[in-house]
Parts: sequence; structure tokens; C-alpha cells
Amino acid sequence: MKKIIVFTILAATATLLAQHPASPAHAGETDTVHSITLPEIPPTLKDGPGKDKVITLCAICHTPDYIPMQPRLPAKTWDAEVHKMIKAFGAPINEEDAKVIINYLTTEYGTGK
Amino acid sequence: MKRRTFSRRDFLKTASSLGLVTAFGGIPADLFAMEGRLVRFPEKTDLILLTSRPPQLETPKHFFKELITPNEALFVRWHNANIPTSVDLRTWRIKVGGNTDRSFELSMDDLKGLPKVTYTAVIQCAGNGRSLFEPRVAGGQWGNGAMGNVTWSGARLKDVLARAGVKGDSVEVAFNGLDSGVLPSVPDLVKALPVDKALEEDLIIAYEMNGKPLTMLNGFPARLVVPGWYASYWVKALSDITVLSKPLATFWMDPAYRIPANPCACIPPGTKPGKTVPINRMDTRSLIIEPSAGNTLPAGKEVIISGLAFSGGYGIRDVVVSVDGGKVWREAKLGKDLGKYSWIQWSLPWRPSKKGKYTLMARATDSIGESQPLDSLWNPAGYMRNNIEKVAVTVR
Repeated sequence: MKKIIVFTILAATATLLAQHPASPAHAGETDTVHSITLPEIPPTLKDGPGKDKVITLCAICHTPDYIPMQPRLPAKTWDAEVHKMIKAFGAPINEEDAKVIINYLTTEYGTGK
Repeated sequence: MKRRTFSRRDFLKTASSLGLVTAFGGIPADLFAMEGRLVRFPEKTDLILLTSRPPQLETPKHFFKELITPNEALFVRWHNANIPTSVDLRTWRIKVGGNTDRSFELSMDDLKGLPKVTYTAVIQCAGNGRSLFEPRVAGGQWGNGAMGNVTWSGARLKDVLARAGVKGDSVEVAFNGLDSGVLPSVPDLVKALPVDKALEEDLIIAYEMNGKPLTMLNGFPARLVVPGWYASYWVKALSDITVLSKPLATFWMDPAYRIPANPCACIPPGTKPGKTVPINRMDTRSLIIEPSAGNTLPAGKEVIISGLAFSGGYGIRDVVVSVDGGKVWREAKLGKDLGKYSWIQWSLPWRPSKKGKYTLMARATDSIGESQPLDSLWNPAGYMRNNIEKVAVTVR
């Protein structure tokens, strides 16, 4: 099984402490930088006309994995989802591209109508 | 007060009003998500992948055999893709202000200087079990693994608000975290609570889960804990607490996270609600953890039917279990009581003598009499699922 583990915790070092001496106001604070590195998980999308638009436009804000996760939705629901992204979230998708994307979603991940 | 128990007569009444035929029409193969696509994120164990950016990860079923959900196994749900991956406690602060007498910033040391409160509380996503709705609805397709039972520690929110001095005309308190959308046009996840709710005794700004610092993906360094209420209010990586004199009307308050404004928070399947209200307190649930749907059990041998139950902050009074699709109900034995916000484990021994197919059901009632409907109630966002789940097993 493929497991990609990327796990980093950067504890504050003596060097860091020396560079940032604690001011009286900060005395006693936990001098720790806590960091992680997120794994990159490639999405799995079906091939079909419009897939390129989904990857370049939808994936600006989120993984396209949101799409295959959904139940088979009718065209009007996919239309509403895409227009929610445009209106409520400000997705930079023009109406021409929106039509292509909705068609891809309905054909590959919808009820087809 | 008259003790109300769920009798066969009640069952038949409920069954006929809901339509027993459809209620038993489709028993899902399993009430928990398929464990096919497991991934391991930082500070977490193998969890079920819903989405990676932003991360939405579900807890595999076997962790629900435990009273306390381990930190590495607790589900993960972020709304926007810019999530905090590095926090410097020397500079991290919670800004407190708005419609208050004073504004100030809280450091981790400031938080830890306030009286420390510890309790165990269920954290549950509003959409837990969404994938089981019929008709299906769009959204995060969670099985029943978007929940956990965690011992939280932190400072009381009301102590922080008292220091700020909430002005008399305040109506809500808004909470923002370090996460944001990729584009500036994406609505930031800011959630608001009614001011009376925010001033209740038990809300805390938690900096520990199960005695350890929060994992980054569960809201390091501190998150709001609103015990009994759905997790959408439990804002992670808290950065701002703002007292408001007008209700917050941003995307994540309206239209998101709204439920039909009626006692069942439900409407006929496939229809649209009229008036809506912000989602709030959790409903009562019980889940059968063992045996699993589809299991084959040996005839004549005792098995333990076991699971968990919780409510929206009123504990659990009893759990009744049926092995014959709801004809006869027997009271299960309750496990260790960790308080009104925790889930409680329950069990019932069962020795099936006859071979055949059985439908196991469990129904919990909380201390104020709130229980579970026989059939799933429907709303368009797939929130608050709490019907009596059915687990089909075969005895051979």
C-alpha cells in the first residue's frame, strides 16, 4: 500500500532562542515553532472533454477529488454547484468554461441529464 | 416525572407513520465509510481520505470500539485550502475585541494563566453520515466516522469575554481561525454564536486534546470547544474573537450550515425548505459498532452487541436494542459515564439460536427524553442524521 508520510516538527533550537531573546513580556512562553508538511495526493479524474478546464480552474481552490466523491448528481445540481463556486466563492470561471465544466461533470459524474 | 420507555406500541406507531416498508427497504452494506483509500497525514494515523486539499479525513470504524478517540485517529475537516501548517507560539495571539469595553491579545501563556477546565466531549461534524441520506445529497460524503470522543482542556471562553467586557447590546460572538481561502474572494470561515451561548459556563478555548497539544490538523494551537453543539462552531487555530452588535451574515452562516426552522430540522425528501436557522445543538444518536453489517455469526454462541451513544449535552438515559427488526427491545448495559458531553459505551449479550437473517437496531434516549426516529429525516444539506441505524447480520 502506498503511504506517503511527510512529517516534520521543527522544535526551537538554542540558536533560535539566541536570535530571539525572550522579552520580559514573553517570559515563560513556550518558544516553539510547530510545523507540518502536507502530503501531495494526486486527484483521480475520469478522462473526458472538459477535464483540462476542471484541473486548471476548479483546482485553483480545491482538489478535484471533491468531484468523484459526490453521488451521481443531475445536471441542474452540477450547474448549481459550479455557479455557487462562481457567485459565492468568486471562482474566475467565465460562462463558456462553466458550460464545458458542467457538461464534463454531468457526463462523467452525473446522471447524464 | 414519568419515565418514558420505547414500547412496541410506540414502535408500531412510529413505524406506521413513517412507512415501515420503505424503512426496511434498503439497509446499507455498512454504516461506516469504506476503508479502501487510507492516507497518512502529519501527526495522524491511517485515515479514510475524502479530500486532500483542504484535508477531510474520516476515522476508520475500529477506533469507535474505544471510549476515547486517540488524537492521531480523530477526523479532520477543513473548509478552505489555505490551512495553517506552521505556527510560532512566540507570535501567535488571539485578538479579542469588537463590541467590548476593552480589546487585547491573548498569548498561549495568557490562556494557560486562566483557570484550566477539563472534560470529555463528543465532537461531531454536522454532515456525519451524509453519504447514507436517501435521496443522496451533495457535500462531503462522510460515513459515520466524522465524530470522536476527546478529553479537552482549556480556558473558559466566558473568562476571556468577562475580561473584555461584553457590551449590553451585543447579539453574537464571532470566531475566526488562521485558515483562509486561496483567492481573496473566497469567504473566510468565520462562525458566530448567540451571545448567551458564548457566555455559558462550559465553552472553552481548548489547547489540549487528551492531555497533549492539539494536532495541527485538529486546530493547533487552540480551538473553540462548544460541547453538545456541532463541530462547525468549534473554530480551529483560533485567531480572533469578535463581539458583534449585529448578527453575522456571511456565507458560512447563511446559506451554509442552516437547517429547516422546525422541530425535526427536516422537510419532505427532495423539497426546498422555507425558513431556516443556523445549525446548533446535536441530536441524540446511537451506533452499533459490533457486529458489523454483513457479519456471519455462529448459531448457539453468545456474541456481544456493542456500540456507543451520545446526545446534544444531556447524557444518555438508556439504550434499547432489538435483534428482530424492532419487534422486541431490550435494555443494553451502559459503560463508564464520563459526563453529559461524552459518549457512553453500551453492550448487550445475544445468543441467537435460530439460523437466518437478523436486523440489529439500537435506540438511545437522553436525560430529557430526546431520542431517535425510526427512519432517516431528510434535509437538503444532509445534516443531523440520527435515525435508528439498522445492521443486517446472518446467523449460520
